[in-house]
Amino acid sequence: MTEDKRPIKQEIIETEVSMGTVHPAALEPYRVRLFVEDEIVKDAEITVGVNHRGIERIMEGLPVEKANALTEKVCGICSNAHIWNSVLTAEKGLGIEIPQRANYIRVIVEELERLHSHCLYLAHGSEVLGHETFSMRAFYLRETAMELLRMIGGNRVQYGASIIGGVRPRCELNEMRLQKIADGMDTFEKGILDFADRFSSDPIVMSRIEGIGVISQKQAKELEVTGPCLRSTGLAQDLRTVMKEYEDFDFEVITQDDGDVKSNILMRVLEVPESIKIIRQAIKNLPKGPIIDRSWEMFDCDTIKSYIEVPRGTLYHSYGIEDGRVRGSIIRTPSMTNIGAMQLACIGDHITDAQLCIVQCDPCFTCTDRAIEVIKI
Amino acid sequence: MNLKSFSRARAVHLMLVYTGGCNGCDIEIVNCVLSPKFDVEQYKVFLTWNPREADVLLVSGPVTRFNEEPLKKIYEAIPEPKAVVAAGSCALMGGVYKNIHGDIPSEEIMGPVENIIPVDAKVPGCAVRPEDLISGVVAALPKLLEAD
Repeated sequence: MTEDKRPIKQEIIETEVSMGTVHPAALEPYRVRLFVEDEIVKDAEITVGVNHRGIERIMEGLPVEKANALTEKVCGICSNAHIWNSVLTAEKGLGIEIPQRANYIRVIVEELERLHSHCLYLAHGSEVLGHETFSMRAFYLRETAMELLRMIGGNRVQYGASIIGGVRPRCELNEMRLQKIADGMDTFEKGILDFADRFSSDPIVMSRIEGIGVISQKQAKELEVTGPCLRSTGLAQDLRTVMKEYEDFDFEVITQDDGDVKSNILMRVLEVPESIKIIRQAIKNLPKGPIIDRSWEMFDCDTIKSYIEVPRGTLYHSYGIEDGRVRGSIIRTPSMTNIGAMQLACIGDHITDAQLCIVQCDPCFTCTDRAIEVIKI
Repeated sequence: MNLKSFSRARAVHLMLVYTGGCNGCDIEIVNCVLSPKFDVEQYKVFLTWNPREADVLLVSGPVTRFNEEPLKKIYEAIPEPKAVVAAGSCALMGGVYKNIHGDIPSEEIMGPVENIIPVDAKVPGCAVRPEDLISGVVAALPKLLEAD
C-alpha cells in the first residue's frame, strides 16, 4: 500500500517553475505551476479556463436536436461520447425506447472511439517520455480505428452517429461494412499485442516509467478520480458494468495495482482487447430491424441527468426541456475530476517527470474548460 | 531557385498554435506529421513548438479571449519570412462557437483568426482532413520560398 502524498505548505517557496498558458511541452493551453525544492516537486497547481468557450451557454435555448449536435463539439477526441450521452439524456426524459440495432451500432462506434482514444494516449505518453518510435507505432495503429470511423460516420473526427430515437441512416452497417470492421479488429488486435510485447520488454522505457507519479487508492477515492486512472490504482469501478446499453455484452474490468505511470499505460493497453471483444460480440449478434424510431413526441421535462462511461472516465450531462428547447445545461467531463489526481501525482517526483505525471491521467483540457463551482466539503 | 529558398525548402518547420477549439483539428495536424500514414516528415517538414525556429504558423480553433494576446506574441516572435495557415472551420469563421442563434451567444470568442493576425492560406473542414491540411500548407509555401 502506497502512502498518501500531501503538498507541503511553506511560508517561503524556494523556486516556482511555471509553464503556460502556451508552452512547447504541452500540446493544449493550460497553466501549471510547480513549486520545486532541489529539483523535487513539492506542490503543483493546474489552472484551466483558457479554452472556455461557454458551450452550456450557447446551448441555452437551442432546439434539442441542434443542442445534441453541438455537444459533439465539446471535445474532438471523445466526440461520440458527448453526443451519445446528450441524446441519452433527452431519451431518458422523453421516455423513448430505441431499436436494439441502433443501440448495438452506438456501442460499436463508442468502442471504436475508445480504441482510438487509448491509442492516442499511448502515442502522446510515449512522446512525452521521449520515445518517438513508440509514438509513431501507436499513431499507425490508431489509423485503423480512424478509418473505420470514417467509413461509418463519414468524417474522421466528428461523426455524429447518434440522434434522438436511434442512429443516423448514413451510419447503417451493411454486410460489407461489418466485414471491414471485423477485418480491422483482427489488424488492431495483432498490432496492439505486438506493441504491448515490445513495450513491456523494453528495459529502458520500463525503468523510466516505473514507480513515478504514484497515486494511492485511498487518495484516488477521496479525489473522486474516475475512469482508467481510478482502475489503475486497483479499484474495479466501471460504469459499463451497470449501464443498460452494455448489458448484452460480456467483458472484463481490467485493474492494475500500483497507480503509477506504468500501470496507467498498461491499463490502456489491456483495455484495448476488451473493447475489441465487445465489438466482435456486437458484430456477431447484431439484431435485424430498423435503426431509427421517429415516432416520438416532444414534451416539457424537468432536469434530466445521465451518466455514462467514456474512454477517460465518467461523463455527466444534464438539462431540462421547455418547448422543445434546452434549458439549464450542465456538462461535467472526466478530466475535470481528474485534475486533482494530476496535481498530486507530480508531488515528490523529479521535475523532469512532472509533465509525464500530468499526462498519465489522460488530460483533455479542452473538454475540461467548463464553468464550475467549487464546493468545499 | 536561389540558395536561400533551396535551403529553406529543405527544412520547413511548422508551429501549431491551439487557440481553444475542440482538439479535433490539433490531433489531425499532429497526426499528419507523426503518423506513418501521412508522414510529412519524409518531405522534411517538421513540427515544432518553438516560435523562434518556425516558418509556418498553423492556427486552429476560434480565438478565445485569453488566447488573443499569446497568439499575437507568437506571431511576432516568428522570424520573417513567415506564412500563416488557418485550419478548421473555427479558425476560418468562428465555427459553431461564434453564434448559432441560441438565446445567449457566447462572448468568449474573439472572432476568426483573420481578425487578429493576417492569414495566408485557409483550410476548411470540421475537423480538417490531413490530406487537405497538407495541400493547404503546400499552397502557403511559395510565400516562404520566394521571399528575399
